[in-house]
Amino acid sequence: MEIPQLHPDACLGVQAHRAKKELLAPLGLPPEMPPDWREKALCKFDELLKQRRSLSLYLDICVRCGACADKCPFFLGTGDPKNMPVARAELLRKVYRRHFTVAGKVAGSLAAGEELTDTVLQEWFTYFYQCSECRRCAVFCPFGVDTAEITMAAREVMASIGVAPKYVTEVIKKAHETGNNIGIPEAAWIDSCRFLEEELKEQTGLDIKVPVNQAGAEVLLVPPSADVFANTDTMMGYARFFHAVGISWTTSSYASEAANFGMFLNYDQLKKVNRRMLDAAGQLGVKRLVMGECGHAWRAAQAFMDTLNGPVDFLEPPCPEHILELAARYIRAGRLKLNKSANDGLTVTYHDPCNLARAGGLLEEPREILRAVVNDFREMPADTIREKTFCCGAGAGLLTDELMPTRMKGAKPRMEAFRTTGATHLAVPCAICKAQFPVAFKHYGVDAQVVGVMDLLGKAIVL
Amino acid sequence: MPGILLAVILYVAMAIFVIGMGWRMYRWIRTPVPLKIVLTPGPQKASGVLGRLAGELFGFRALAKADRTLWTPAWLFHVSLVLLFLGHLGGLVIPHIAQASLGLNEQQFEHMAQIVGSAVGILAIAALVWLLLRRLLLPRVRWISTFSDYFALVLLLLIIATGNAMRFMGGLNIIQAQRFVAGWWTLHPVAPPRDPMFTVHLLLVCALLIYIPFSKLVHIGGAALWSPTLNQRNNPRQQRYVTTWEKTDGNSPASS
Repeated sequence: MEIPQLHPDACLGVQAHRAKKELLAPLGLPPEMPPDWREKALCKFDELLKQRRSLSLYLDICVRCGACADKCPFFLGTGDPKNMPVARAELLRKVYRRHFTVAGKVAGSLAAGEELTDTVLQEWFTYFYQCSECRRCAVFCPFGVDTAEITMAAREVMASIGVAPKYVTEVIKKAHETGNNIGIPEAAWIDSCRFLEEELKEQTGLDIKVPVNQAGAEVLLVPPSADVFANTDTMMGYARFFHAVGISWTTSSYASEAANFGMFLNYDQLKKVNRRMLDAAGQLGVKRLVMGECGHAWRAAQAFMDTLNGPVDFLEPPCPEHILELAARYIRAGRLKLNKSANDGLTVTYHDPCNLARAGGLLEEPREILRAVVNDFREMPADTIREKTFCCGAGAGLLTDELMPTRMKGAKPRMEAFRTTGATHLAVPCAICKAQFPVAFKHYGVDAQVVGVMDLLGKAIVL
Repeated sequence: MPGILLAVILYVAMAIFVIGMGWRMYRWIRTPVPLKIVLTPGPQKASGVLGRLAGELFGFRALAKADRTLWTPAWLFHVSLVLLFLGHLGGLVIPHIAQASLGLNEQQFEHMAQIVGSAVGILAIAALVWLLLRRLLLPRVRWISTFSDYFALVLLLLIIATGNAMRFMGGLNIIQAQRFVAGWWTLHPVAPPRDPMFTVHLLLVCALLIYIPFSKLVHIGGAALWSPTLNQRNNPRQQRYVTTWEKTDGNSPASS
């Protein structure tokens, strides 16, 4: 993809709406910025530097070689130099140098150090919410410097002084109150699952269950809540699969959300939100935990859960398992009867969600499934897939209307790669991507549709 | 400049370098890694991690994926730096051992040093100039460059240029240089060689040694080795990763 001309401050005006006290207070954050916010922020910064090697090391060792500069979809889409990963990190690094390093304390601006001022804080709130923590830059960094770690730390510092986006805090508050990000109460969750059962009956003539709170089931499936309300074909895909292989399963109305927006705010919330699904698994007495089609949920559950809220010794390994791992396992064992021609007429390509590809290493399973259920499956260019995949442009708390200009520009590299395939359908196992791509398709005039991998599998299963 | 003063400056610079680097590296290693943040491809086994780190340390593999026009000068520069270091070690610090272990006579050894040293000296200059031009000419790289980025490049250029000048202009008496190094090493400093270029070269090296621990050049402390995205095993589901986070949290200033 072509490297854009630099447009300094092109995105400076695009900022998330700030959370007010009714959203901040319930999450244990200061309801408004304290008068001594500067000292408090630096104190939090200091604390994080001592707690996370990924922060202190990555602030120290970057040599500004620029290998990452043209790898970020937000830079490629906007041309704003502060969206180059190295420049984004410098926003935090310059304050680090000024306040926490010998060189910066002695030489100040000559060592490229800068005071934490209101202007700097504004820049942080802008550009650390134009990073989707997708980690594509880290793949190309000679030291593995992970800008997501920098972004997470910066967001955590801001949150500690009551500076956080409305969208992210609102979602976390809903997850605590209702168990899901949309804020759907238990009764509505149950209703929707009944509705999907009726829908499945109409489609197949069979009694395929979409169970809720079924104690003693073998598997607790935790889908992104959007699968029950928006991406219903994905939800029905799970149901068809479990029905076909004869695994007893259930969803939980207490943990009706795979996504973990805590990851986009601070460690404390990451841990608290993650706790819910383990509590639900314990209460329902299930044997195994399976995650639905959601990208960052997979990272939070697969890589972090056992550390955050473990030891998880009451569930069978692999814990958690991804629905695509499970399905691929059954396909490999020849235990699913599939009819590929059910998906004829579709030309399908696959988008690797950042967190499946770069954090979870879930690269082969979705492709195995797609090859098994679709006749016309094609890949996008090699430097835009697998661990080099481009973010959809809306991850890590960016999926909100006021950030639309950034989101659409951030989607540009992915849209260009998609166009080269001539595909009619983009298969995506991630709820955030599924919400973002239809808007991006419209924005870029692409005539195509978004589907889940489990949607296509569900249709191909011979019941 | 009197030999004793030059020697003292070098002792001080070396001490700052060793203590400074030790302090920086100790701080990295001491800082906990709360979560598994390994990047794909995350090897499951320790042997795989070793392979990955070796690939990064010796081959700059991620950089090769990123940009060949950056990888080429970067890799060549670092390799030539290692060779120059070994050359100084063999030619100045332990000339007799080096000569004997290579099985050469004195003339052959000098001849080899002349050829290899000249080639590597030129290669290092070429790679540095390439890196400097890249920094100046590519708008995006120029935008992210700070004073210290240019300072490091220029300092290195001057060091290697003065080194090359001694070699190509033939003003340096190698025996005197060896004597100076041996005296320094055994804490019996003697006068440096006559060639003023030697003094300039050595003072610039002292500046570099002092500068390294306080700048981005601190990355020579094995940056990739300590980097959790690269040095972790991808096995969070096989083996519970236990964090040292909570313990540190209790001691942190913010929570006290």
